[in-house]
Amino acid sequence: MAANKPRTSSFSRNVAVAPTSQVPGLKHGPNGTVFLSSGIADLDKILGGGFCLGSLVIIMEDPEAPHHMLLLRNFMSQGLVHKQPLFYASPAKEPRGFLGTLPNPVSSKDDKSRERDTEQEKNLRIAWQYKKYFEDQNLDSQKDGKVEYCNDFDLRRPLDRHALSGQCIDCVSLQDSPNLATLYDRCSTFLAQIPRFDGNITSAGRISIQSFSAPQCHFSEKEWDMLSFIRSLKSLVRSSNAVAVMTFPPTLVSPTVLKRWQHLADTLLSVRAVPDEDKDLAKLLTGYQDMLGLLNVHKVARINTQVPVILEATTYSMKLHKRRSLVLECLNQAPVDGSSGTSYATSGSCSVSSKTGALDF
Amino acid sequence: MAAEAISRALRDGALEGEHAPALTIKDSIHAPLGAFVFDHILAQLSSNISSSKSQAQLRIVDCYTDPLGWKSQLAESGIVSNRSTQNATTASLCKNARDLDMLFSSIVELGKEVIRETKGRFAVAIDSVSEILRHASISSAASLLSNLRSHDQVACLFWLFHSDLHEMKASSALEYISSMVACVEPISNTTNGKGMNSENLPLIEQNLGRGKFSVRFKRRNGRIRLMSEELHTEQMGINFVPAFEDYVTSQSLVPKVQFSLQLSEKERNDRAKVVLPFEHQGDGKPIQIYDGRRSVSESKTENKETNAEKMHVNEDSGRGEIIYIRDSDDEMPDSDEDPDDDLDI
Repeated sequence: MAANKPRTSSFSRNVAVAPTSQVPGLKHGPNGTVFLSSGIADLDKILGGGFCLGSLVIIMEDPEAPHHMLLLRNFMSQGLVHKQPLFYASPAKEPRGFLGTLPNPVSSKDDKSRERDTEQEKNLRIAWQYKKYFEDQNLDSQKDGKVEYCNDFDLRRPLDRHALSGQCIDCVSLQDSPNLATLYDRCSTFLAQIPRFDGNITSAGRISIQSFSAPQCHFSEKEWDMLSFIRSLKSLVRSSNAVAVMTFPPTLVSPTVLKRWQHLADTLLSVRAVPDEDKDLAKLLTGYQDMLGLLNVHKVARINTQVPVILEATTYSMKLHKRRSLVLECLNQAPVDGSSGTSYATSGSCSVSSKTGALDF
Repeated sequence: MAAEAISRALRDGALEGEHAPALTIKDSIHAPLGAFVFDHILAQLSSNISSSKSQAQLRIVDCYTDPLGWKSQLAESGIVSNRSTQNATTASLCKNARDLDMLFSSIVELGKEVIRETKGRFAVAIDSVSEILRHASISSAASLLSNLRSHDQVACLFWLFHSDLHEMKASSALEYISSMVACVEPISNTTNGKGMNSENLPLIEQNLGRGKFSVRFKRRNGRIRLMSEELHTEQMGINFVPAFEDYVTSQSLVPKVQFSLQLSEKERNDRAKVVLPFEHQGDGKPIQIYDGRRSVSESKTENKETNAEKMHVNEDSGRGEIIYIRDSDDEMPDSDEDPDDDLDI
């Protein structure tokens, strides 16, 4: 496994070289975990490789903006490109309609312009001691064979038909199940379909549940039932080769249930809307004009280890690169009063409203 | 401005593949002007419709007269005689307000009647979702509204809602479903719980005639647009007036920091009066290079710094000076030692 690495310094880290995965779309990570891509390259980088197989990812929506749909679309498209079975549940009556809005990967013609940019950057003289840090970046941009781990998706173009046909896609409407037992059964039958062999992982599945506690769903008032469903889903996913992504609007559940919900997540993200034509915000944040919204990373999944991930930054702005693909940029953090730190802060928002005050970074 | 933007959004309807725009009009007992806003928007919408097509036709689903079907039950059993002869009703009576599926189908049926030949779409106005919530659960009401929104032939949808009659959950559920939220709030916040004191009455009276109208639009690009204005009730309906600056809640977005980033008025004046150290060179006075020692003979104010990093610009009557108080008096000012001498490489 550990190949003949040329030693660059007297101190070398004991990082075992991970075996390259033969299954497209899966990547081995530290501590025996396997990652699959979220569909957004920047998010994979922030989370340390992608979504961990067996983890539950929860995205807290902002009731005023549909940004969670962007994240879900990229996630689902990535799964279809890698031919991974997909399970989708939403409160709409016709959830299959959403599949028509999934984005297509960027075609190779567009990629050439990006390669030219990286070449120009190589001419930049980099001080010698920093070169070793830049090596990592080059490795990521290499394509292994034909299938990329994370595709760049063009949000303006819908997914090709051939990617959708012949795929194992299971769509469920959340309005159909008055109690959550039927939904749970559907999830477990879906996960049973993904073949499991001892040792090697041959394929992985993706579960995406959109707007779980939306008011149209009849179970939305039974909060303890929803919590118990999430816990059962988590245990199902943990013992299978799948990743479950669930979005929900946090304002529609009571605070104690919300706290428990947040703790159930392995990876917790939240999206927030930005007010339009806000002059104060335009002065405070660079790139305000192109910004779609904000993404906060509250918790990152750590499986098989006790060491937590401490991120350099937790707030990112979502922007469209060349108006087609989603990129995440780090926001410069403003000096904040240290005493006001809260965990999983969901109430902080950038809107100029009577509800909230200072910006919460 | 805000009211016109709402009317425009409702008139424009939905794009292909989108849900119909939905407006929530929210009020409370402190500013009970929601019904006026509702009537105003209804009037605007019907005039918009009339100006573009034939005439606006109105169909009513009456859930008010007999929502639980009691009157008809009593009439059948002969106990109560139905005195009031129903006039020719253009209203279809709903006898079971609990069954929202039936309500949905009767709304859609009536709507289809209206658009019969024109192949257009119809708008739905719900006088009070609060009434619906009396008889049905939040999830069924939300389901009704979202089904109406996603129906192909519904152009736009708006409803009135009294926020203090329901839990927060109902309010947030309705806001979640709508694409525009218009709030009517009192101009001056009366302290709750005071009740009908004699001191409070003029304030309460004022709130019956005027209100703050603030709207949040969820735009297609995913951002929120906030608009705010004042509304006054007059004899012929209501009037919208652009708001004064203090009504727009412009909270400072400057984050809370441990040092003050802004200067007070006094500090700004003082800063303007400061004579910079080298400004008076060549005046004839001997050139003195200020080295921070207190021995320079000028009166100083007793000003303690809370943060060692700060440099105050202080004034003592008339003369602007920079007074620099050293952190520690033990330090020898400008010693001749070269600090680099300590290094041995």
